[in-house]
Amino acid sequence: MAAANTQPVAASRAVEARKRRQREEELLVWPDLVFIEFISAVLFTVLIVALAVLVDAILLDRANPAVTPNPSKAPWYFLNLQELLLHMHPALAGVIVPTVALIALGAIPYWDNTAEGQGEWLSTPRAWLNTYVGAGVGSVGTLLLILFDDAQHAKMWEKLTGTDWPIPALRNLRAIQNEIPWPESWLKVPLGDKLLRTDLLGLPKISLNVNIPGLIVEQIIPISTMVGLPILLSIVAWKAKIAQTKRDHMILQFSGFIAVYVTLTIIGTYMRGEGLALVPYTIFAGDH
Amino acid sequence: MTATESPERRSMGDRVYDAIFTNRLWRSIFRSGYPNTPRNQMLAVATNVFLHLHPTRIHRTHVKITHTFCLGGLSFFLFLGLTISGVLLMFYYVPSVERAYEDILALETDVRFGQLMRNMHRWMAHGMVLTVLMHMMRVFYTGAYKPPREFNWVVGVVLLVLTLLLSFTGYLLPWDQLALWAITVGTNMVGSAPLLGEPNRFVLVGGFQVGQSALIRFYTLHVIGLPLMAAVFMTVHFWRIRRDGGLARPL
Ligand code: HEM
Repeated sequence: MAAANTQPVAASRAVEARKRRQREEELLVWPDLVFIEFISAVLFTVLIVALAVLVDAILLDRANPAVTPNPSKAPWYFLNLQELLLHMHPALAGVIVPTVALIALGAIPYWDNTAEGQGEWLSTPRAWLNTYVGAGVGSVGTLLLILFDDAQHAKMWEKLTGTDWPIPALRNLRAIQNEIPWPESWLKVPLGDKLLRTDLLGLPKISLNVNIPGLIVEQIIPISTMVGLPILLSIVAWKAKIAQTKRDHMILQFSGFIAVYVTLTIIGTYMRGEGLALVPYTIFAGDH
Repeated sequence: MTATESPERRSMGDRVYDAIFTNRLWRSIFRSGYPNTPRNQMLAVATNVFLHLHPTRIHRTHVKITHTFCLGGLSFFLFLGLTISGVLLMFYYVPSVERAYEDILALETDVRFGQLMRNMHRWMAHGMVLTVLMHMMRVFYTGAYKPPREFNWVVGVVLLVLTLLLSFTGYLLPWDQLALWAITVGTNMVGSAPLLGEPNRFVLVGGFQVGQSALIRFYTLHVIGLPLMAAVFMTVHFWRIRRDGGLARPL
């Protein structure tokens, strides 16, 4: 009887105490927050005006559809996609990857719905470790893949030994399609017009022919890489006890994603020159 | 609500204070006096439509600069600055293939502060893409996307997309070589999607190549369509922050 009585009282006391403590931890928005906002607004106004006085926005020659600049580049925040475009099927790089990436980004809170590590910077035990590992693997991995597709390993070999790269099929990704004697019948596998019923949409019928080596190089290998490597990373990190909780894996993957995004953007911006070859480049170079 | 408790001995300062903050004009605008007492400070926030975006009280950890680095606030600040400088640019800019480039040239040479306005608009646009991306990272690394804030994270992703689209549509407007070819490369990426890619690219560009129809479409999206959508989603974003109980706290 006594126990049944004290229980709710104790609970309500705890609630009281928590409320009071919380109130003491709170500040008034005016002045404590409003002034910070005001000062940072002033600071950034000054900063932007200063930047605008010192550095002029770029303006090249009048647009001319007849003269294609070499290289032609998308705005910088899309250069990561343009970089992907060099290594896989355009539909994959230009549409499917960004769509899937955005959906995955939006789905983060629905995967990791634990309360762990909420409201504080990297507060869980292995948070920093997973950030470093994810960012390290993401950036170095991206760099290595790009160097591979640029045949840097083969060029290095040729420079060092003076002989041809011994495995022509592994010169870069495209070589898998071009340097392997695929059976003739694999280059054009007819699937007919029953697979894509575009006629139902009132569009012309499409007779599908599949080039299997092309499919492997442009789609299967890139997709396996982009899906497989992150999964592999999570498995290895899990086995190595680096990532143990959902939040750990989330930090690992997100950090990896950001690192890949930044690496691709930097390479697309500063390392793609004429013909999108892998050479140092700046938009302000040359005669504009 | 006069400044002093004993009205018999009012100093000069008190009189001036009362003259400014208790007269009918001030009261008709602000309802409460100058926010110098806790009561007035809370009233100032609660009764002002702009300040009302905030709660009246806030946890002390959230006032620390290093918790948010002001990044969400800065994104919003840049959005406002872009709106103002953008309206000024619209006074001088005509979205036509014949005039656009010349208008930008004239803006840079003939219009007083024109170059400055264009520079500010451009740097703020680049800045906003950066602050929004960094804001997303700060929200992630502080674990602030977790329930009950899942949906606000999704709203955030929509805002990220809108920010990129705003920047992308603006990129075409100067109608120089950089603009034309960047948008050609960008829209060709859309065109490469299976089946619906090419029709989508056609609708976006309004033809087979980037020309007058593309310019007017991008312009309209840039100055009205996308900013309106961004404003709507920002409203939801800010509303949700308060509905979700303010910024995330450790449980
Ligand atoms: C135009 C773009 C955006 C604007 C103007 C904006 C504005 C803001 C502001 C002012 C805050 C208050 C705290 C702070 O300053 O950090 C905030 C919080 C938040 N934002 Fe954004 N935001 C934008 C984009 C995003 C994006 C891209 C995401 C995520 C993908 C996001 C997710 C969130 C979440 C979950 C919160 C709550 C954070 C917490 O509880 O600590 N927002 N946003």
